[in-house]
Amino acid sequence: MSDTHGHGHHVEEEEKPVAKARPIEPTEDSLDLPFEPMELKMGPSHPATHGTVRILLKLDGERIVHSEVEVGYLHRGFEKECESGLWYQAFPYTDRLNYVSPIINNVGYALACEKLFGIEAPERAQWLRVIASEVSRMSDHYTCLGACSLELGAFTAFLYAVEAREQLWDLHDALCGARVTTNYVRIGGLSMDVGRDFRELAKERLAAAGKLQQDLEDLLLSNPIFLDRMEGTGVLPKEKLIELGVTGPVLRAAGVPYDVRRAQPYLVYDRIDYDVPIGEAGDNLDRFLVRIEELKQSRRMIEQCVERMPEGPVDVDDPHVRLAGKGRVFERMEELIAQFKIVTEGPKPPVGEVYQAVEGGNGELGFYLVSDGTGRPVKCRPRSPSFSNTQALSPMIDGAMLADVIPTFDMINMIGGECDR
Amino acid sequence: MSDPTNDATEPADALVQPASPVLRDLLSRFAGRVLAVSEHRGDATAIVDRAALLEVGRHLRDDAACAFDMLLDVTAVDYLGRRPRFEVVYHLLSIDRNDRVRIKVPLEEEDLVIPSVVPIWAGADWLERETFDLYGVRFDGHPNLKRIYLYEEFEGHPLRKDYPKEKRQPLIGPGAVRRDPMNDDLTR
Amino acid sequence: MAARVVTVDRRSLRAKGGAFGARAFAKGLSVTWRHFSRNLMGWVRGTPTVATVMFPEEDVVKPAAFRGMPVLVQMDDGKERCVACGLCEWACPVDCISIDPAETPDPIERHPLRFDIDMGRCMYCGLCEEACPEEAIVMSDRVEISAFSRGGIVWNKEDLLVPQDQLARRLDWIRRSYDR
Repeated sequence: MSDTHGHGHHVEEEEKPVAKARPIEPTEDSLDLPFEPMELKMGPSHPATHGTVRILLKLDGERIVHSEVEVGYLHRGFEKECESGLWYQAFPYTDRLNYVSPIINNVGYALACEKLFGIEAPERAQWLRVIASEVSRMSDHYTCLGACSLELGAFTAFLYAVEAREQLWDLHDALCGARVTTNYVRIGGLSMDVGRDFRELAKERLAAAGKLQQDLEDLLLSNPIFLDRMEGTGVLPKEKLIELGVTGPVLRAAGVPYDVRRAQPYLVYDRIDYDVPIGEAGDNLDRFLVRIEELKQSRRMIEQCVERMPEGPVDVDDPHVRLAGKGRVFERMEELIAQFKIVTEGPKPPVGEVYQAVEGGNGELGFYLVSDGTGRPVKCRPRSPSFSNTQALSPMIDGAMLADVIPTFDMINMIGGECDR
Repeated sequence: MSDPTNDATEPADALVQPASPVLRDLLSRFAGRVLAVSEHRGDATAIVDRAALLEVGRHLRDDAACAFDMLLDVTAVDYLGRRPRFEVVYHLLSIDRNDRVRIKVPLEEEDLVIPSVVPIWAGADWLERETFDLYGVRFDGHPNLKRIYLYEEFEGHPLRKDYPKEKRQPLIGPGAVRRDPMNDDLTR
Repeated sequence: MAARVVTVDRRSLRAKGGAFGARAFAKGLSVTWRHFSRNLMGWVRGTPTVATVMFPEEDVVKPAAFRGMPVLVQMDDGKERCVACGLCEWACPVDCISIDPAETPDPIERHPLRFDIDMGRCMYCGLCEEACPEEAIVMSDRVEISAFSRGGIVWNKEDLLVPQDQLARRLDWIRRSYDR
């Protein structure tokens, strides 16, 4: 069996570079002998799956006959918590959805709330939100690529990717004072403005991350062992991916240029230059390369934003939505009363419901909010990309080899917090 | 089923003649079965009768003028104290036409069953399981309707508004009978 | 100003690796050797180039915006600045703050008799600092909360009070960043 399905046949693939899914047909041996499929439980805690998920496999030799993916090990009741708090108290919880790109969740929730309130954040806040989102997206992609290389045996590449991620988390730190639990964005603005030295810091950190990324690419991208593991594995046709609700780099790698930033531009994405990379074969290698290219594009976006970001306020001047500045609260009665009202009752949106999507690290991250006009949400529902993407794992690995589970799962990049909410 | 447009949680700007061509098409094609439409904050929304859900869904997916090929999200909302109490909400996306629509189906608490849309969009599988798990909505015709986040022995459906946040669940000890997924036929 | 769609280049990768991946092997070695020699030289010269820090012997440089554990500001007369208005208690999403207010003959008229923060629940979100109308609770740069029992990580008023001159940097930062 290993002769026909193992990794020894990459020489053929060199001749037709766009890889196809490997056909799995029962060999004569497997029909002759009576056999029973072996049952293997991968996870929930498995060294090669960076996420708490259990994959139940039925194996015929090394070939997967049937698989079932079980999620839910990280379910913390995100929606219940949000519905029992005030609108602004959900921000710290949104950090914990996709905890490797926390600010994108903050931005998504804030944009949905602003759509519900019918307000818009000031110009400077919008540019800063783009910067913060792209920094987060880069840290997400570095984690994904690094973890993937680690689980395929390339430990050094993982260290470089994580060091690059640390450079970006320094930027998180400068923006909001925390590396992971950011809690940065607010309804109608941001928790705080950045200092003047941010532009230089951003350039320095991005340059350092760029160097490490080059090292990562040098280590992996021409390495035949790495290419053998990635090429032609985990393929699903794009029609199937769309049917399953898969978005993000996985869908783009299959050749569908759907990116929320491009399709329905929010914030200032329609005013900056960037490319949307797509793949042609839709295998794990394409997913890896799409992420590599997106990292470069994110860097390009941040560089444009720090140059073009205007001066000005970062919060809407509306005492019903956003707290006034500390100085005014200390000295004036009206602002002090407004402070008490906003904190205790929360900002109150009009009755209605909205859905607002942003491009998260792994695909379309949407928030569906329902308001009954009080300070507490009736419904606060994140449409998390990881959940729909993980659903596609089972059809991707059915019929493949056991070893293909690892790169496929890595490239789907399931984030437990986001998938299990 | 009472008129779902007649309550406080609906946006006031329900339109007679909506701007979205998809909603206009739905109104003329499924007159009486599309109960109401609205475009609050630009989100095209149609409230559909349960009996017409599959037909509307097929039309939205297959008609070239709709082409909603991706089902983004399935969830429910619990409006405790109002009738009908529940609403199942579908968010659809058309990648080619770059358009979105939201379909809502009102459901009575006593009759919390809705046809599954898995035959139309395969991606509804886990999303419907999640809605079943957290709200107790049963999806008729779902291939594998079981809890997805919580364990089999969990009592109640935690996202319902009458489920207290602080509620404790009974401990499941080693004596409890647990379903072993490995002993079930996974290939069914 | 628009987004272009580009296709990633995957066809040239194998050729870049050379015959039997020899070129890829050499390139990988050169990358790791460069990192190794740079880090070694940094160590020899006493100017470390590695990203890791020998905590706690070496301290981590924290940015001005850093949010550590919340503490109470202690004024120069040794008393707390807090007037027990309870806004931080309201704002806290995880209900980790509990306050018993009381009257005081001091000019501030009210003060907390008891002010507890359960550090086991606190998630350092900073909403208390944002809500505080008195600059009385601030996010310090302290992060060490470990204790030998669960009760030990519930910090009371005496544990939380920090003299305001030690918090000068943060107080200055709050004034600047929250003033709009």
